[in-house]
Amino acid sequence: MYYRTIAPLEPDAVRLLLSTIAIVLPLAAADYDSAVKPVLSQTCALCHNDKLSSGGLNIKAFLAPDSVTAYRDGWEAILQKLRAGEMPPKGIPRPPEAQLQALVHYVEGEFEKADRNTKPDPGHVTARRLNRSEYSNTIRDLLAVDFRAERDFPTDDSGYGFDNIADVLTISPVLMEKYLDAAESIASRAMGADPLPKKPIEAQYHTKDKTVRRVDLSTIEASHRVEWDGEYVVRVGMPGERTADAKPVTLGFWMDGTLLKTLPVETKPSTLVYFDPYSEAEVRVYLPAGDHVFRAAFIDDDFVKTLPEKDAYSSKKNKFLNSIVFVGPYPSDVERASRKKILICDPNSGQACVRKILTALSRRAYRRPPTPEELASLMKFVSLARSRGGSPEQGIQLAIEAMLVTPQFLFRIEHDPNPTDRQDVHRISDYELASRLSYFLWSSMPDDELLNLAGDQKLHEPAVLDGQVRRMLADKRASAFAANFAGQWLEIRNLDVVKPDPDKFPEWGPELRDAMKTETRMFFEYVLRENRPLSDFIDARYTFLNARLAKFYGIAGVSGPDFRRVDLSGGQRGGLLSQASVLTVSSYPTRTSVVLRGKYVLNNILGSEIPPPPPDVPALDESAVGTLMSLRQQMEKHRADPMCASCHNKMDPLGFGLENYNAIGKWRTEDGKFPVDASGTLPSGKSFQTPDEMRALLMSVLPQFSRCLTEKMLTYALGRGLQPYDRRTVDGIERDLAAEGYHFQSLIFEIVHSAPFQMGRGDGDAKPKEIAQR
Amino acid sequence: MITNKALPRRTFLRGMGTAVALPFLDAMTPAIAATRRASPPVRMAFVYVPNGIIMDGWNPDYEGTLAALPRILKPMEPLRQDITLLGNLTHNTGRALLDGAGDHGRCCASYLTGVQPRKTVIDIKSGVSFDQIVANQVGKQTRFPSLELGMEDARQAGDCDSGYSCAYTNNLAWKSETQPLPPVLDPRALFERLFGNGMALTPEARARQNLYRRSILDYVTDDTRKLESDLGPTDRRKLDEYLSSIREIERQIQKAETDNAQIDPHMEKPYGIPADFAEHFKLMTDMMTVAFQSDLTRVITFLVTHEGTSRTYREIDIPDGHHPLTHHRNQPDLIEKVTQINTYHLRQFAAWIAKMKSIREGDGSLLDNCMIVYGAGLSDGNRHLHEDLPTLIAGRGGNHFKPGRRIVYRRETPMCNLYLAMMDRMGVHVEHFGDSTGRLDVLDLA
Repeated sequence: MYYRTIAPLEPDAVRLLLSTIAIVLPLAAADYDSAVKPVLSQTCALCHNDKLSSGGLNIKAFLAPDSVTAYRDGWEAILQKLRAGEMPPKGIPRPPEAQLQALVHYVEGEFEKADRNTKPDPGHVTARRLNRSEYSNTIRDLLAVDFRAERDFPTDDSGYGFDNIADVLTISPVLMEKYLDAAESIASRAMGADPLPKKPIEAQYHTKDKTVRRVDLSTIEASHRVEWDGEYVVRVGMPGERTADAKPVTLGFWMDGTLLKTLPVETKPSTLVYFDPYSEAEVRVYLPAGDHVFRAAFIDDDFVKTLPEKDAYSSKKNKFLNSIVFVGPYPSDVERASRKKILICDPNSGQACVRKILTALSRRAYRRPPTPEELASLMKFVSLARSRGGSPEQGIQLAIEAMLVTPQFLFRIEHDPNPTDRQDVHRISDYELASRLSYFLWSSMPDDELLNLAGDQKLHEPAVLDGQVRRMLADKRASAFAANFAGQWLEIRNLDVVKPDPDKFPEWGPELRDAMKTETRMFFEYVLRENRPLSDFIDARYTFLNARLAKFYGIAGVSGPDFRRVDLSGGQRGGLLSQASVLTVSSYPTRTSVVLRGKYVLNNILGSEIPPPPPDVPALDESAVGTLMSLRQQMEKHRADPMCASCHNKMDPLGFGLENYNAIGKWRTEDGKFPVDASGTLPSGKSFQTPDEMRALLMSVLPQFSRCLTEKMLTYALGRGLQPYDRRTVDGIERDLAAEGYHFQSLIFEIVHSAPFQMGRGDGDAKPKEIAQR
Repeated sequence: MITNKALPRRTFLRGMGTAVALPFLDAMTPAIAATRRASPPVRMAFVYVPNGIIMDGWNPDYEGTLAALPRILKPMEPLRQDITLLGNLTHNTGRALLDGAGDHGRCCASYLTGVQPRKTVIDIKSGVSFDQIVANQVGKQTRFPSLELGMEDARQAGDCDSGYSCAYTNNLAWKSETQPLPPVLDPRALFERLFGNGMALTPEARARQNLYRRSILDYVTDDTRKLESDLGPTDRRKLDEYLSSIREIERQIQKAETDNAQIDPHMEKPYGIPADFAEHFKLMTDMMTVAFQSDLTRVITFLVTHEGTSRTYREIDIPDGHHPLTHHRNQPDLIEKVTQINTYHLRQFAAWIAKMKSIREGDGSLLDNCMIVYGAGLSDGNRHLHEDLPTLIAGRGGNHFKPGRRIVYRRETPMCNLYLAMMDRMGVHVEHFGDSTGRLDVLDLA
C-alpha cells in the first residue's frame, strides 16, 4: 500500500544528496557503517546491483546512512524481506543471524528517531461522493424509500480495492442525469404522490413463453419491474404430482436474493380426479418499485434428485414450478413509513410547519444543520411549486427533489478552517465525525442519536464515542460493513460475476452461490459482533451453513434453508481460506489456479504485494494439468527458472495448500487422474502437508495478517489510500492489538481513535511528488 | 393503458434473457427522425474488443482490393465493399516504456487518448480522448455530445491489471485527463437515456418538469459556487466536475426542448440486461442505429467487454474465460477457442453494419455517412503486442473514404494518425494528437 515509493535510481543525484547529509549526521554514520553497510555491499549487492537490479532494486541508493530516512519506503520493503527470512535467498551465502538482526534493529531505531522528530500528519480526505450502496442506504434511512442505486447508476470506480475512495469517485454527466431522475422519483415515492392504478394489473411469467428461467429442477426465476410501491399478490404455478408417499416440500419466494416468504406445499396426488394435475401457491407481499429478480424454489428438494432427468418435467411423475404471476398493486393499509418520517406536522397548517419539516429533513440530508440561506432556498422551491398550482405537500416534494441533488447531500464535504494550509492540523467537527462513523460502520447517514450528540458537541468525548461505536456495531445497519468491507476485501462481490463451467461443476447455481455469500457474510458478522480474535479468520473451528452448503461440504446433520453456526471438525474446513466463496473467486471458470490463489492469500491475508511478472516471461502452462502432468510437476518445472522462482516460491506453496478444494471450493483428493498433493514449503523454510497444517502455519504470522487487515480497514474507513505518514498510525494500532490479543472490535475502536480518523488538515498544492514503483 | 405509468401488458410478459425483437426501431423512426438536411452529417463510432485477436485469422495475405477474407473476418465478407482494413497501425503508448507489466490496462486507457496512462490505482491520469475532442465541437449540435456504451459490468473488487486502476479498463472515453466516462450497460437504461422514461407527459406537464429541473440546477450551481469558496484545491476539483456535469444537463434540457425527439409512449422497451451476448449486442447496436439515424448524437464509443475479462462464451460452447484463453502459449486447441470468440464478435458486428447499410439516408445509406471503427488495443493477446493492431473501418465517412481495400502502412505508424484523419472528416481540425506524426494518407478517395 504505502510502500509504493522507492528510491530513484539516478546514481549521480543520489550520491550528491548522500554526501551532503552524511556531513550532517556523523554519529549515525558510524553505526550505519558497522551494522548495515557490510551486509548490503557484501551480500545484497551480489544481485541488487547496477547490472542486475534484481526485483527492481539497486542497493546502491541505500549505501549511505541518510538513505534510511530519505528512502524509507524502500527500506521498509527491505526490512520486510529480512524479517520474513526471504532474503538472502537460497544459494547466496548467508551472513550470521546476529548481523542481520543488528541491521534490522539499527534501521528500526532510526525510523523511530525520525518519527519522534516529525509532526504527525492526519492527512486530508477529499470531498467524497456517496457511492452506490451509500446512496441507497442513505435514501433508505433518510426517507424510508427502497431505491437500488446498484441497478440504476453506473458502476463506481474503485481504488486500493475499495469503491469508497474519494479521489476516484467522479461525477459524469450520465451519473448526474441519474441523480436528477432518481431525485424526482424518490421524492415522489416518498410523498406517495404517484396514484396507484384504479384496478390491479396482472403480469405473468411462464416457462412456456420463456419468460421464466429454469435455474435448476426445483428453482425458477423471473425478472420483473415493479412499477409502484405497494402490496402484490404473487401466485406460483406448480403443475404435476409426485408419488403417493411423497412428502410436502417448502416453497420459498425470494426477491433479489432475499427470502421473503416460505410456505409448505403438498406434492402427493390429491384425492380429486384431474386430467392435468396443477396447483398454485399464493403469497401477499409488499414490493418496492424497481427492477427485481424474483425466484421461487422448493427448498432442499430431495425428491427430484431421485428422479431420472427425463421425468423432471413430467406432470405424472413430478410436481415442479413453471410460472409466477404478479397481481397488484393493492393499497397498503398502513401509512407509508416515508410519509410518517417526513410529515412531522400538517403542512396545510401554514409556513411554520413547512419550515419545520424542511429544517428537520435538510439537517438529516446534509448531516448537519442547514444554514439560514440553505433553508431559505429550499423554502423557495415550495413557493415555486405553489405558484404553479401545487399543494404544500407538492412543494415539499419539490424541495426534497432539490435537496437530493445538492452537493451537500451527494458529497461528504469536510470544512477546514484554513483550507489550503497543510500545517493546520485540527480536530474535525462533531458532525463530520458522526458522518465518518456512520459511513464507516453503516455505509449510511448518521441517525438522530449521532446527530444530536454532534449537535451537543459531545460525540468526540472518548466515553461517548466508544459508547456510540458499541451501539453502532450492535445495530443491524452494521451488516453493511460486512457486505461492503468484507465483500471487497475478500472479493466476495465477484461471486456475481464469475461463471464456473456448468459442465465441470454441475452443482454451481444461484442457490449455491447465494449460500456461499451468506456463509462468508455471516461468518464475518459473527467475528465482528462477538468480538472474536482475528485468528478466527485464519482458522476458526466453526462456520455458518444451511442444508445446501453443508451437503456441498459433506457435513452431516444440517437441514433446512436457514443458516446456523456449525462446529467444524476433521480438518477439511476452518477459517476464511476454506470457504467456498473465497475459493471460487480465486479460481478460473474451469479449474483452480495455484497462482491465483497464492496471490489472493498474499494480497488479502498477508498484505504482501507481488510484483507483476517481468515482460517476456513465458506464461505458466497450467492448462495441461490433470492430463499430461500433474499440476505440481508443471509448477516445479516452471519454478526451476530462477526468474520465476523468486515470486512463485512465495505464491505457489500457498496455492498448493488449497489444492484440496476444487474451483468452486468442493473438497477433493484427486485432480484429473492425479492425487492431490497439498504440501508446500514457504520461503521461510517451514513446510506443511495439508490445508489444515497450512492454516496452523499462517497462525504463526498473525501479526502480518493483522497488519494487512488494519491497512485495508483504515483505507476503507478514511476513504483514501494510506500514505507514508500513516505508517505511524498503523504501527501504533498493531502495538495495541498485539498487547490485547487481536480482538476484532479492538481494531475498529483503534481506527476510530486514530488521528487520521478524528483529525483533518488543509490541502495545499504543495503535494510532494511521489515516484511510483515500477 | 391503465394509467400513464403503465406499460402495455405484453411488455410485462417479457422476461430477462428472452428475445426482445425491438420492433420499435422501425416504428419509432418516423416519430423522431430529424428534419431532413441537405447533406447528412458524418458520424463516428468505435467498437472495442479486448484481449487482442488471433491475427492469423484477421490479416489477409494480400493488400489492395478486398476479396476472400480470413476466418475471423468472414462474417464481413458480404460487406467487404464497405470496409477498409488498416495494417501496421501501432499504439506505442500502450507499451511498457519502463512502466513494466499491465499491458491490458495500458492499451485500453491509451487507445483513444494516445497517452500513456499513469500507473496507479489512485489519482488516475490519462488524456482527453479524441472522441471527446470531437464531441466538444460537433456535439453542440445534438442532444448528446457523445454516447458511451458497454456490455460488461465492471469487476467490483480486486485490482484490475498489475497496478493499473480499474478505471483504465472500465472506460474508453475520457472527458478530461482525470475523468473517464463510464459506459451505459443496460439496454433499458440506454433506451431511457435516449428517449425518456416513457411517461407520456402532457406538454404542460413537461414544461413544468423542465421549469422545475432548471430551477433546481440553477440553485445547485449557485450553491456549489458558494461552497467552493472555502475549500482546498482537491475538494474544489471534485465540485468542478459536479458543476460541469450540471452544465451538460442544462444544455441537454435546452436541446430536448427544441429537437422534439420524443418517445412514443406505446413503444416497447428493452427489459434489463439480456443474458445472451448476441441479444445484448443487438439491443445496444439497434439503439446506436437509432441514435445516429435521428441525429441524437454523432459520436459513440462501445466497449464490448473489458481488457482482462474472464467472460465465458457458453453461447458458442466455450466455458473458459476469454482472457485466460488468450494466453494460449501457441496451443492449437486454445487458439481455436479464441478464434471462435473473435469470429463470434465479428458476426454480431457484421449484423449491425448490415443494418446500418440497409437504412437509406440522402443519396446513399446511413453507413455511408459513418466511420465505424472495429478494433482492439492489442494484436497478439498472448504476447501483449501493441503493433499491427487489428483495425477495420466500416463506412465512407460521408463519401470521403474509398473502402473495399486493405491498406498496409509503414511499420509503427501511430494509430493517432488515423484519429487525425477521422477528426478531419468530423470537421475538427487538429494538428497533433497523442503521438501522431501526421495524417493517415491513402485513406481518402483516390
